[in-house]
Amino acid sequence: MRKRWLAAVLLVSVAAGCGRGDGGGGDTAQAVKDGKATGEITVWAMGTEGEKLAEFAKAFTAENPEAKVSVTAVPWDSAQQKISSAIAAKQTPDVSMIGTTMQGEIAKTGALDATPTELFRKDAFFPGAWDTTVVDGTPYGIPWYVETRGIYYRKDLAAKAGFPDGPKTWDDLTAMAKALQQKAGAKWGISLQPGKTGSWQSILPFGWSNGASLNTGDKYTFDTPQMAEALAYYQSFFTQKLSPDNLPQGALEPAFVRGEIPMFMSGPWHVGILNEQGAKDKFGIAPMPAKQSSTSFIGGSNLAVFKDAKNRDAAWKFLAWLSKPDVQVKWYQAVNDLPAVQSAWDDPALTADPLLKVFGTQLESAKSPPTFPTWTQLAATFDVEAEKVCVAGADPAAALKAVQSQADSLGTGS
Amino acid sequence: MTRDRLAKISLYGILSAGLLVVVGPFVWMLLSSFKPEAEIRSVPPTWWPSTWTFDNYRTLFDRLDFPQYFTNSVIVAVLVTVGNLLFCSLLGYALAKLDFPGRKALFLTVLGMLMVPGMVTFVPQFVLVSNLGLANSYAGLVLPFLAGPFGVFLMRQFLLAIPDDLIEAARIDGAGEWRIFWRVVLPLCKPALATLGILTFLSSWNNFLWPLVVATTDDKYTLPVALALYSIGQNRMYFGLLLAGAVVVVIPVLIVFLALQKHFMRGIATTGLK
Repeated sequence: MRKRWLAAVLLVSVAAGCGRGDGGGGDTAQAVKDGKATGEITVWAMGTEGEKLAEFAKAFTAENPEAKVSVTAVPWDSAQQKISSAIAAKQTPDVSMIGTTMQGEIAKTGALDATPTELFRKDAFFPGAWDTTVVDGTPYGIPWYVETRGIYYRKDLAAKAGFPDGPKTWDDLTAMAKALQQKAGAKWGISLQPGKTGSWQSILPFGWSNGASLNTGDKYTFDTPQMAEALAYYQSFFTQKLSPDNLPQGALEPAFVRGEIPMFMSGPWHVGILNEQGAKDKFGIAPMPAKQSSTSFIGGSNLAVFKDAKNRDAAWKFLAWLSKPDVQVKWYQAVNDLPAVQSAWDDPALTADPLLKVFGTQLESAKSPPTFPTWTQLAATFDVEAEKVCVAGADPAAALKAVQSQADSLGTGS
Repeated sequence: MTRDRLAKISLYGILSAGLLVVVGPFVWMLLSSFKPEAEIRSVPPTWWPSTWTFDNYRTLFDRLDFPQYFTNSVIVAVLVTVGNLLFCSLLGYALAKLDFPGRKALFLTVLGMLMVPGMVTFVPQFVLVSNLGLANSYAGLVLPFLAGPFGVFLMRQFLLAIPDDLIEAARIDGAGEWRIFWRVVLPLCKPALATLGILTFLSSWNNFLWPLVVATTDDKYTLPVALALYSIGQNRMYFGLLLAGAVVVVIPVLIVFLALQKHFMRGIATTGLK
């Protein structure tokens, strides 16, 4: 709560203090000069990416001997505050990694440089990933790596329940969860996030799969029959006692290994966690169950260049290098980040893994929420309302109306 | 006799229960930092590690330039603490014992500052520091915290209790104002200084957001920032690293606390008396 408040204060201060009255959006991209990159390129990157990128970039400086890449590792915790404050004080690096869901807020400060489109082909990236860079019709930065959500299930229990290949449709998912409980003897059928922070990333895919859209043009549309139906469907797992609604953090994986929770929804990072916990080869991953379509959430991180960059041209050249398909494959091999560039997925390093293939296919159609600057604020409201629906049995349509009225009063922020 | 005994037993019972509640999480943190990730996450949680591992610490020390971050933290925390002890006691003394025009207004200003949440001044303060060219420097990490309204208030309240006669006597004996402050007043303030010292050291040691924002390259990070680097991912937490990091951060604070404990207790006791 305190953090959210701080983020809001920072945002206001940034908006007031950055001295760019025009704000972001609608910029025209400047061309990048030809030739090799030179000079120092300063980069901020979070977590593991920040740890490994400096070493990885040596291949770039080998091709561009007069360039130097200086990477500062930044913790994910409060990364958004760090970037916002840096923008306000004009202390930005040349390049920063930006979580896809922060993009709207940060681009709106007007501090990001519009993507020089002659260096990057839009259709080289997953369309959902590219969309996360676009604010008010102008792309700011490029997708670096991606992730998406699927359904993890225990193969042995799924076979007992009569769904050896996982659920294909919404009806399947309900039937399978019931069968896992009744035929396969599991304590629960599935674990879905019962509202709370970040639950929109689990719920919206059901909405998208049901044909819902979060915005028409520049207006939020939460309160639609499609979204209401999806939320009611999501709620049914809690009302039918198929999913626990108060699972403590960290309890999911051991319960999955023990077979108490035989199915859950998550992203690619869970492959590593489950393998660590001793469930290697015991689980399968299915794409989002389909209603009208099978559409998941696309997340990950973008890379953006700041307008105040001291070495702009070299920075863009560095990003162009990072988005080459073969470099994306090597980056995947170095840190397990899934490539945002589609053709990188044709490489044997990725095609060999059947679990990855599920994510790869899912990514082709996966969507992201609109990059409106007010999105993170609204996502918080959505999470609170979703919790009322999942835990307290509130009416899904009423919850969406509450989100919609908040959306109407906040506006998109553009 | 038996009643006394009963009272004693129940007192010890209550105190032990309280101790368990306070110390329990710390013990679990310490023990769990030697467990593999899977065991930390196990439900119900275990106390004693079934397999001991030093991997968490090894990863922590391998992946982080530990001596650098530790030195940064010590430099910042020590300078901030010394600055607070000096400036807060000086200003506190002036507000409590010296008569000068505007004293009341100054005190009200201090009180007012106490009521402004730090979050509100955060960004302007950073803009100021970076306009002074102090971003990414020790000066930028230390300067804004050298004196705080809380410390001034604490010292003033404590100094009010020191009898004026003592100061008068020193003055009659021919001591100058500096001498009175250093030789008469400060030695009497030891409990308050110890309290202020511990509180300042703690908050500076644990400070996360300011060093994160001011340090634009990672060689200026302090421990809490560095420890957050790899223990918290975009989508998952690494509990082993988190716990090992917490243990490493807590140890110096424990040492400082134990060293100053005697004075600290007296400080709380005397402030309670007034």
